[in-house]
Amino acid sequence: MRGLKLIYLNVTFYVFFFIFSLVAIPTLSCFVTLCVLILPRRQALRRLRRAISWYGAVIICILPFPLVRLKYKDYNQADPGGPYIFVCNHRSASDPFLMAVLPGELIQIVNVWPFRVPVLGFIAKLAGYLSVREMPFEDFKAKTIKLLREGVSIIAFPEGTRSRDNSVGQFHGAIFRIAMETRKPLAPLCITGNELIPPIGSGLLHPGVIRIHRLKPIRWEEYGALGPFKLKNYVRQIIIDEVAAMERCT
Amino acid sequence: MGEQDIIRMVNEVFEESFEIPSDELTLEANIFNELGLDSLDVVDLVVALQKKFGVTIRDDERVLTIRTLGDIYNFIQSIKSEGGT
Repeated sequence: MRGLKLIYLNVTFYVFFFIFSLVAIPTLSCFVTLCVLILPRRQALRRLRRAISWYGAVIICILPFPLVRLKYKDYNQADPGGPYIFVCNHRSASDPFLMAVLPGELIQIVNVWPFRVPVLGFIAKLAGYLSVREMPFEDFKAKTIKLLREGVSIIAFPEGTRSRDNSVGQFHGAIFRIAMETRKPLAPLCITGNELIPPIGSGLLHPGVIRIHRLKPIRWEEYGALGPFKLKNYVRQIIIDEVAAMERCT
Repeated sequence: MGEQDIIRMVNEVFEESFEIPSDELTLEANIFNELGLDSLDVVDLVVALQKKFGVTIRDDERVLTIRTLGDIYNFIQSIKSEGGT
């Protein structure tokens, strides 16, 4: 039964993923071209970023349903203000698609490889996604600060790579230094349940429930007195504690 | 400056600049994997070490080979024995 579910999930997901992408990507490209031609640059970018979120939402919420379910809990409903710097733990290649649950205009800080994915990499680059390893810190800082000033939230996976044992790895401090400089709120985002959707080194999706908890933002008033090293470990500990609590409940 | 002075002063840098508890500061502690420093923290570390020991190590390529706290103790000791400024 388990084997049948696995086969059913992967066959249906990848068939529909292929068909959907075949339709959605050219449509998205036409939509973007049209936006660029008729709208000011800022508006065109805003729509492109939202379109990427819709694409991600279909990929992660609809195509693998009901064998992969997504449960999103927002502990920040009372505070819609932004932009935020979202800080996430990183377990799976599906994490970037999960970011579709977040509202507003967003860009992700990615590793080198997503930009090398045909078509999707190009669209991500066009939308202003940043590859932190491909530029000096000062350039990265300038671009990130500009985006935050334009009201664009930033999504970062400060572990830099996927966890191989579900633990939360050491954090890189770049995004926390930018938070300190811009005084923008840091929003921890905790993800569990997707370590096998798909596992590292495989494209095979396993049935399961993915849980995402968006925690209350940590504001400048709370973190301003900390140095960048202490801040990254402070946020890391919050994520570690929440991930542990989420896993105890499953 | 003796070996114990160097160890004490380097540990003070880690405690003051990064607020790392002294019980984590062991000879074998990997400054990246165990103590959690990243490349930007290393820049801060170099600045703090320069200030603490009154030496210039920013352009020293040996900094790039440092992995453990023990490497830092040895590095500072060799700088000091070379009469580095």
